Amino acid sequence: MKYLSFISTLVVTCALGVLVALPFGQIPPIAPLLDPNHGFWQNAFSEDQLAEESIDLENLNAPVEVVYDEQLIPHIYAENELDLYRAQGYITAKHRLWQMEFQTRAAAGRLAELVGPMALELDRMTRRKGLAYGAELGIAYLEKEDPATLALVEAYSDGVNQYINQLTDARLPVEYKILNYKPEAWSAYKSLLLLKYMSDMLVGDRDLEYSNLKKILGKANLDRLYPDFPRDNDPVIEKERVWDFQSLYPAKPDSLTYPEETLQLEALAQPTEGTGSNNWAVSGKKTKNGHPILANDPHLSLNLPSLWYSMQLSTPQHTVKGATLPGALGVISGFNEHIAWGVTNATKDTRDWYKITFQDASRKAYKYGEEWKNSEFRIEEIKVKGEAAFLDTVVYTHYGPVVYDKSFKSDRQDVNFALRWIVHQGTSNEQKTFLQMNKATNHAGYTEALKDYAAPAQNFVFASKTGDIAMRIQGKFPLKWKEQGKFFMDGADPRMEWQGYIPFEHNANSLNPERGFVSSANQHPVDSTYPYYTFDHSFEHYRNRRLNSKLTAMDQITVEDMKALQYDSYNLQAAESLPVLLNLLAGYGASSQEAQKYLADLKGWDYFADPAKKGQTLYSIWFAETAESVWRELMDQGAPVVRPNNYQTIALMRDTPEDAVFDVHMAAGIQTAQYHVQVGFDSLLVAMKKWEAEEGDYGWADYKKTTIQHLVPTFKAFSVPDVYTGGGAGILNATGGRHGASWRMVVEMGPTIKAFGIYPGGQSGNPGSKFYDNFIPIWAKGDYVDFGLKKKEEQKGVLFKTILN
Amino acid sequence: MKFLLFTLLSTLVVVFLNSVAPYWVVMIAVTVLAALIRPSNWGGFLGGGLGMGVAWLGQTLYISAITSSTLPDKMGTIMGLGSGLSLMVLTAVLGFILGGCSGLLGVIFRNLVQKKPTDVYLG
Repeated sequence: MKYLSFISTLVVTCALGVLVALPFGQIPPIAPLLDPNHGFWQNAFSEDQLAEESIDLENLNAPVEVVYDEQLIPHIYAENELDLYRAQGYITAKHRLWQMEFQTRAAAGRLAELVGPMALELDRMTRRKGLAYGAELGIAYLEKEDPATLALVEAYSDGVNQYINQLTDARLPVEYKILNYKPEAWSAYKSLLLLKYMSDMLVGDRDLEYSNLKKILGKANLDRLYPDFPRDNDPVIEKERVWDFQSLYPAKPDSLTYPEETLQLEALAQPTEGTGSNNWAVSGKKTKNGHPILANDPHLSLNLPSLWYSMQLSTPQHTVKGATLPGALGVISGFNEHIAWGVTNATKDTRDWYKITFQDASRKAYKYGEEWKNSEFRIEEIKVKGEAAFLDTVVYTHYGPVVYDKSFKSDRQDVNFALRWIVHQGTSNEQKTFLQMNKATNHAGYTEALKDYAAPAQNFVFASKTGDIAMRIQGKFPLKWKEQGKFFMDGADPRMEWQGYIPFEHNANSLNPERGFVSSANQHPVDSTYPYYTFDHSFEHYRNRRLNSKLTAMDQITVEDMKALQYDSYNLQAAESLPVLLNLLAGYGASSQEAQKYLADLKGWDYFADPAKKGQTLYSIWFAETAESVWRELMDQGAPVVRPNNYQTIALMRDTPEDAVFDVHMAAGIQTAQYHVQVGFDSLLVAMKKWEAEEGDYGWADYKKTTIQHLVPTFKAFSVPDVYTGGGAGILNATGGRHGASWRMVVEMGPTIKAFGIYPGGQSGNPGSKFYDNFIPIWAKGDYVDFGLKKKEEQKGVLFKTILN
Repeated sequence: MKFLLFTLLSTLVVVFLNSVAPYWVVMIAVTVLAALIRPSNWGGFLGGGLGMGVAWLGQTLYISAITSSTLPDKMGTIMGLGSGLSLMVLTAVLGFILGGCSGLLGVIFRNLVQKKPTDVYLG
């Protein structure tokens, strides 16, 4: 009996001890999670409560001092660059490890490994786009051509890994505890992969949609509805710029044939609308203090932990501060003691598609001119949580990977399209650009740093203490004949090849222009006089004109003025189109009381998308519904296509309201723009009735519900919803529901540099820390925190210090 | 008397040992402690349970108090339990069950190996 009770108690106790350490479905092991000493409770501590005076970090040449300011911004003081980047890796991992790892897993197409089969299709797409392939080539390139940069990237990686190796269960980021996995070793490869991932986030193409549009609309109508340049083109590089070089613009070959079928492929994910950025610099002659002022605000998905992590990095030779990308070395958008720089996305069609004709079902060779070229196979092994690994065979041609084929996103067996993208070339060195930029002291240094930069193409704005301001549109841009790459091309025709690359010297740039400022807002890079083919579907038409008209008008500019401009919520699109809508509406629907209320809101609106403004809500719905109605028949053709942009839609409604595009073939009679405006207004009434019944107030912030979302969307409690702030797409303060200013910086390049920055998040990646989201209320109001350079000895505003040795 | 001593000692063991060792090491320690002190079966279960449950509850209270963090509430929401308070209760109950079983096991083990005292001087 005694034995029986002993054995049964032993079995029950052991079984219990084991059971609580096992996951059940999506539920993580309960005991390690709840154990107050090692589980999630330990993540409730903020960083200042865990401050350490010194930490062991191996492989340093000299001790490194890390001083945190009151916002938990680390200021790293190292004696040399190897130590500096080792420490940057260590400190970044200390505050952002889970995010760094998660993002690179996403970039490598390894999410199914964590979350199971639901991520398999996404992983397959990521792998087929060849991001990992590009990063592998990038490492091989550094090994061969730039061991100095590689050594620094390796040092950073070593810093991250030393942190991972020292990590206790208690300090393990809470996301690992919930998702029940452990961090794996970091590597130089992952740092490069992260930079490739940025390309993926920022670069799109509409070749598929344009190919279909050409077939549906005919070339003449396509050109009319989707012109290469808008009437009010206000490009990045000022129109006055004279192009004084001998262009290498290739001539278009005669009698080209394009793949003719209408394509039913599933389009690749595009950068979400609202992804964009502003940057500008004003010269001393326009500022109150006589010093240049530079401003930058990249607009991206608003996520927690934030994409950005701010830092100051110092050696005896240089000191730089600004926004870093966890996982990459140096500062990406920031300033040092001599210069400031910032980035916006320079959209330009740099991704092209080639139809591949294989010799036979084995796909070992494909047609190229008169010959058959050999293809290569890359087997992607995708591990899937809870299931057997998935093997995906991707065929590589000399153009690039065959993304679409019989096994992926195609309804036809004979459709094969290869993706040509600069990301697949190993010969770029973006990391070196940022390392050099961090140390540059003048315009020549800035230009030199950009020579190695290929993708994603960016508008690099510049200002220096010596009074220079500049803008350079930098990327490795393929040399194309007119309209090359606008449509899917035939990969069997060698004349369809890219014709080389636009030389670095010919990339559009501007130094100290007469108008006293440089600026960019993702609009057309140049006007039509630039002697190379320039095309993209997604160019901005409103933020740029608002920005340039304000900068032109302003004088005696102060830092405060520039902050206000970043927060500017004037809706230029509404200002230009609401009178058109109201005019076309005529007296329609005016008898209803509701309609009168909304019309009064609209007519009384000043076009500012401030948080409480109701007019902005009404306008955004009305315009969206009207445009939807105008292009419904086009969109319903059964093949992926893309609408003409809002600017063209508004121009048509205003200038040619009786144009044939407004006629609805399915409806009796002939429709004009007025019909669609009225349909849109009816839809507005329906939408508002529902909204007022369910939600009540329709002030803009209440309607758009800006949400800063955790990288795992199902962890809703780690997100910050309903942030009360204004702005929207096409507005300088581009903050919409899920996208917006992910980082704002204003720097005045005087004898003592004055700098201010903010981002919607916090320095800590830990949802339990008070530094996780403490920047959000400041950001929402358009305020900033002080971002001035700090000297090592400065005692003011120090949260705590740590010595790494 | 033994019950109180055992409860107190297991609380201390959990507080100090658990800070450096995972929960299962603590379970073994409570088992050993119960075998050494040898309270009654119920005393072993209740004492071990209270020891670990109270220690864990105390630690969650302490952490919540000194951090004022919103994390327990956020975790409660993510786990579908509503609030941090329910997580605190869950943590305490889990500690109680783990500690209780360990305590009981220790006592039963001791009873098993301990020979019946046959040569004791009973006065």
